[in-house]
Amino acid sequence: MEEVLEPLKHTYPGREKQLNELFYLFGMSNKPYPLNVFICGGPSTGKSSVTTAFLNAFNIKYAFVNLIECYSSKILFESILNQLTNHKIDPKLGTPYAKCENLMEFCNQVKSIVDTFELNQSVIVVDKAEELRNMEFNLLPAFLKLRKLTEISISVIFLSDIVFEKYYFKLNIVEPLKICFPQYNKDELLEILTEDFKFAQVSLFDHYNKTLNFTVEFFQGYLNVFLSFFYRACRDLRELRQMSRKNFIFYCEPIYKGQLTLNDSMALWKNISPILTSSAEVLYLRITSATSSKNSIGKTTQKLELPFYGKYLLIAAYLASYNSSKDDRRLFMKFHGKKRKTNKEVQQKSKVSEQLNTQIGPKAFALDRLLAIFYSILDDKVGFNNHLLVQVSSLVELQLLSLVSDDSNLDGRKYKCTTNFETIQMVSKMVGFNIRKYLSDFSHF
Amino acid sequence: MTGNDIVKIREFLKDKLFYNEELFGKEAEKNQVFELLRRTAVDGESNSMLLIGPNGSGKTTLINKVLKELQLIKTFHSDCIIVKLHGLVHTDDRLALKSITFQMNLDNAVDGKVFGSFAENLAFLLACLRTGERRSSKSVIFILEEFDLFCAHHNQTLLYNLFDVAQSAQAPICVLGITCRNDVIQLLEKRVKSRFSHRQLFLYPISNENSDTSDLDYTLNKLKWYLELPDKNEPKISSVSRKQWNSHINSLLGGKKFQNLIQRMIDLEFNQNCLKNILVKCVFSLSETNGTLTCNHFEKELDLLEKDDMIQVILDLTALEICLIIAMKHHQEIYDRPMNFEMIFSRYVKFVNKHSNMQNIQRPVVMKAFEHIEKLELISMLNQAGSSKLQKEYQFFKLLVAPTQISEAVGKYIGLPTEIIQWCNSSLV
Repeated sequence: MEEVLEPLKHTYPGREKQLNELFYLFGMSNKPYPLNVFICGGPSTGKSSVTTAFLNAFNIKYAFVNLIECYSSKILFESILNQLTNHKIDPKLGTPYAKCENLMEFCNQVKSIVDTFELNQSVIVVDKAEELRNMEFNLLPAFLKLRKLTEISISVIFLSDIVFEKYYFKLNIVEPLKICFPQYNKDELLEILTEDFKFAQVSLFDHYNKTLNFTVEFFQGYLNVFLSFFYRACRDLRELRQMSRKNFIFYCEPIYKGQLTLNDSMALWKNISPILTSSAEVLYLRITSATSSKNSIGKTTQKLELPFYGKYLLIAAYLASYNSSKDDRRLFMKFHGKKRKTNKEVQQKSKVSEQLNTQIGPKAFALDRLLAIFYSILDDKVGFNNHLLVQVSSLVELQLLSLVSDDSNLDGRKYKCTTNFETIQMVSKMVGFNIRKYLSDFSHF
Repeated sequence: MTGNDIVKIREFLKDKLFYNEELFGKEAEKNQVFELLRRTAVDGESNSMLLIGPNGSGKTTLINKVLKELQLIKTFHSDCIIVKLHGLVHTDDRLALKSITFQMNLDNAVDGKVFGSFAENLAFLLACLRTGERRSSKSVIFILEEFDLFCAHHNQTLLYNLFDVAQSAQAPICVLGITCRNDVIQLLEKRVKSRFSHRQLFLYPISNENSDTSDLDYTLNKLKWYLELPDKNEPKISSVSRKQWNSHINSLLGGKKFQNLIQRMIDLEFNQNCLKNILVKCVFSLSETNGTLTCNHFEKELDLLEKDDMIQVILDLTALEICLIIAMKHHQEIYDRPMNFEMIFSRYVKFVNKHSNMQNIQRPVVMKAFEHIEKLELISMLNQAGSSKLQKEYQFFKLLVAPTQISEAVGKYIGLPTEIIQWCNSSLV
């Protein structure tokens, strides 16, 4: 049996230990399998892929269910039953789709099909098993005891991102055997990403319509540079692969242009490092092209075209959200009199940064306060009319403000400003308003 | 020993581990249950009883064994029906009744009848079993596993009716509940409790009567039973290798080092399942090439048992996420108050700005890292009033890992920049 294991180990570098453990538990012979195995590891550590490849390679009958797809127990049971009975949608045969409402029916049906489909020595793989905690209370303990309940030698493999510790709840449950899938380290990542070699050749050809004869060492050199930029921020294999594929094309660009050759690794590094830096900024964000991405975050705010009064209203809302109403008098009145320093204010001055409004978030304000601030920061006089009120509601519609009080009450509506400081700075620059003068908690910016 | 023999031995031990029907001691308890069930089955007495014991104390094994012995009584099959219900499977009374009907083979009799109440239905089922013979009725043994879950059913109708029938001697039935909750009596409603016979049998993981055997000896005996090959049962294994294997096991169990190891396990967790899990892993790792069980095998498994899974989760994080976790740790130590993303981010930025060689990472990427930490349940969101209306940067979280766990993980993390390690130890930047 070990000869089946070797190619698997080759396909999944860095997972030799886990494959060995699976082999001990399921591969050695067709005698009883363990009751249940709990496989735990972060996202994209190869849990599902290794498990299914292993079960396929050893010809073990299994049903694979993902609890995100099978969100209710009915769908879950029916999906398991259909897979165990090799159900296929075929108009000629018309095999009935399994119907199962609850655990009792599931146990009965499994018992009734056990002989026809040879379910002894079969496995149910439950992916995203952490969802079991949010489903009916009996599912998790029942899957842990499935063999006892069905009296069939069927075992369950749980795949989960979350450690078993977090599964404990009021039912005392039997602890399963555990296999841990740790995150890949840098060397393993390098090895796995090197498997992309063929893909890289093809994608270069697709992009430049010309083949480039490079060696594996050249590709690994690129990957080393790439990982040195990304490894600290991201260990997610899927994300890294996507990024490395995207950036390899830029890496080879000077070679296609004839400026550099394959051996100028230093020059290539110099060329790629600004591109890598900028694409590290859009990690996970899946913004399509790396070059244009640099400005794309800034651009979204510039695209925002508000009417003149709308901008002032937004600024006023921001001031109302992040200043306390006690300061309003001091900030917006021309002759507010001399300020007396009180003990309280001295205490407030020594406020720690964790209590500043910038870190606690915007506060709610009423419409009249917003309008009062609006009139005091606006130089020209404008009549209070419908148009202003409509602009307030269109700001809410654009989700720049959010309504915090309930909808029914027209008089005492309360709002919050949801824009960040960068956006509001940009907006106030456009109308020529110095917002910093009016903010009390923003001295550190 | 040849490799072939080892494989046979492994298969034999595996069978023994999974289909273990052996009770260790507990003769008195077994006889008590047997006597009770026998009286229902043979003499037609009604009764009710609860079997209480922690997980892995052999409750189900005991019942199975008793039932097996009951089968030996000649008239048992014609006189008695066994109905098994399980709290996890029969989650409400409707399902339970359906299953009872099915297990009593009365599907045809019930078909098409309309019953006014649960009691009426059950009474009909029991009446169906009445025949005109000497003992006028067939007796039924109800076995309710995970009995505590039945207490959660609406109005406890099933339990009420079963106990009522048992107490008022309408038909000879015996209700046997199996549970691991010691407080199960308190879960019963008053009217149900008053109908219960209050016969309780407690099972303990270790037999109390001969207290001169220590936990260690008891466990060693158990291990010996699991690992040793009996003299006759398995003819496929040659007697030479059997002797060799048994002496190997004896020398393993006799070793001082091994006994210390087992003592360590007992101190940690004294539980049948835990012992079994370790044994399964060790026995499964036997192969043609690896023909012996050594101390090291057990030590490795025990180390795994003692390992803190959370540390592994932290070790799987990126350097950026470790930084965020450290920032959270400092925040918690300084303020002891919930934190939000803004606070953690500004603390992190302060740290990065002080150290020029730290890579500058943009806010959206840090936000993603923060969400990743949340998804791994290292932090959890606090449910405060109105928190649903907060933006996600300002939502409050609490840290779910202990500062010592973080420090330990940071110490083990390979390739972490020294600045971060220093920052973990002191919050000054």
